[in-house]
Amino acid sequence: MHEKSPLLTAKHRERLGSRAAERVRKQGGLPAVLYGHGQTPTPIVLDLKEALAHIQKGEKVFRLDFPGSKDKDEGQMVLLKDLQFDYLGTRIVHADFARVDLNERVRTRVPIHLIGEAVGLKQAGAILMHPTNEIEVECPVHEIPDYIEVEITSLDVGHGIAAGDVKLPFADMKLITDPHAMVAQIVVQVEEKVGEATAAAGGPAEPEVLTAKKPAEGDAAKPAAGAKPAAGAKPAAGGDKKK
Amino acid sequence: MALMPKRVKYRKEMRRVRPRKATKGNYVAYGDYGLQALDGCWLKATQIEAGRVAAQHFLKREGKLFIRVFPDKPISKKPLETRMGTGKADVDYWAARVKPGTMLFEIAGVPEPTAKLAMVRAATKMPIRCRFVGRRIKV
Repeated sequence: MHEKSPLLTAKHRERLGSRAAERVRKQGGLPAVLYGHGQTPTPIVLDLKEALAHIQKGEKVFRLDFPGSKDKDEGQMVLLKDLQFDYLGTRIVHADFARVDLNERVRTRVPIHLIGEAVGLKQAGAILMHPTNEIEVECPVHEIPDYIEVEITSLDVGHGIAAGDVKLPFADMKLITDPHAMVAQIVVQVEEKVGEATAAAGGPAEPEVLTAKKPAEGDAAKPAAGAKPAAGAKPAAGGDKKK
Repeated sequence: MALMPKRVKYRKEMRRVRPRKATKGNYVAYGDYGLQALDGCWLKATQIEAGRVAAQHFLKREGKLFIRVFPDKPISKKPLETRMGTGKADVDYWAARVKPGTMLFEIAGVPEPTAKLAMVRAATKMPIRCRFVGRRIKV
C-alpha cells in the first residue's frame, strides 16, 4: 500500500476563509485541511484535477508532496476522512485528510459490492434494497480494502444480509457499523397510493390543530370566532376599515 | 386527497423568506437515483402526487419510489373579488418548501435507464427545473 499510494501535490494555504477558498477553487485548486497525530491542523491546497482523478477511483490513502519546501509533512501518509460538496452535490469544495502511519489502526468506510443475481428477484414485484452501501471498519491503514464483495445469489424474498453477516477480508478487521444494519434485502413491492389511501380511509380534509381553542359549552350555539364568511360573500356594511 | 399533515400546531403560517440553497435533503439517501430540484418553489401537494403517479405508472410494479419532500406548509389565499383586510384568508393548499438542490424523489431497485425515464416523467409534473442524479462519492 505504501508504494502504491498515489502522490498528491500540495502547498500551504496562507489565506483562510470562504472568499480566499473560493479564489483557490477558481484557480483550479482544492482547499483541504490536514490534521491528526497531535499536531496543529494545517490548511493546504491540492490540485483539483489530480485529486479528483484519484478520489473518483476510490483511493483513500495518499502521500503528500510539498514541492519546493522542506515541510515537516513532506511524504506524510494521509487518509481521506471527509469530502464537502456544494449544494447541488456536483462539485467537491473541500477535503479533510488525517495524518496516519501505515500500521496505525484507523476507522474508515468501505463500499460494498453485491455479487450475483439473487434468487428472490425472479418473483414478480421483488426488488433488491440495499440501505447500507458501505460499512465502517477498523483496521490498519495498509489493510484498507477498495471494496468488500458480498455474495447475494442465494438471497430469497423476505431474507436479508446484515452488516454482521458480511465476511471481512482480514481477521484483525473489526466491524464498527451496527451488525444489525441491513446491507441487502429482497422485498416485494406493495403498490402504495398515497392520496387515494388517505381518501379511502376517510381522513379529515383539514389537519388537527393542537393549539385550537375548544369551544365552551355556552358558546356551542354561536359560530366560531375564526369562522369565515362563505367564499364570494360580500363583507358586512362598514366592516372594512379602509375606504 | 393529496398529502397533508395529520396535525399541526398552528392553523396558518407566515410566508417567510426561502433560503437560497438546500443544505440538507440534497443528496440521494434511500434509493439509487433521484430527481433533484434546480430551482426553489413551494411545491403543491397535488404536484407531488402528480409526479408520484407519473413515475409509478411508468415503473408499474418495479422498483421502489421514495418521496423526499412533504407538504407541511399551509398556504392561504383570499377568494377572488374580496376586499383587503378582515384577517388572514383560509388555507388554500399545502406545499413543501423546495430550495435549489432539494431531492424530490428517489428510486431504488431498477436499472439506470428505467429510473431516468421514470424521473423524466415525474419532472414534467414539476413547476421547476429538475435533473436526474445518482449517488454521491462517499468517503
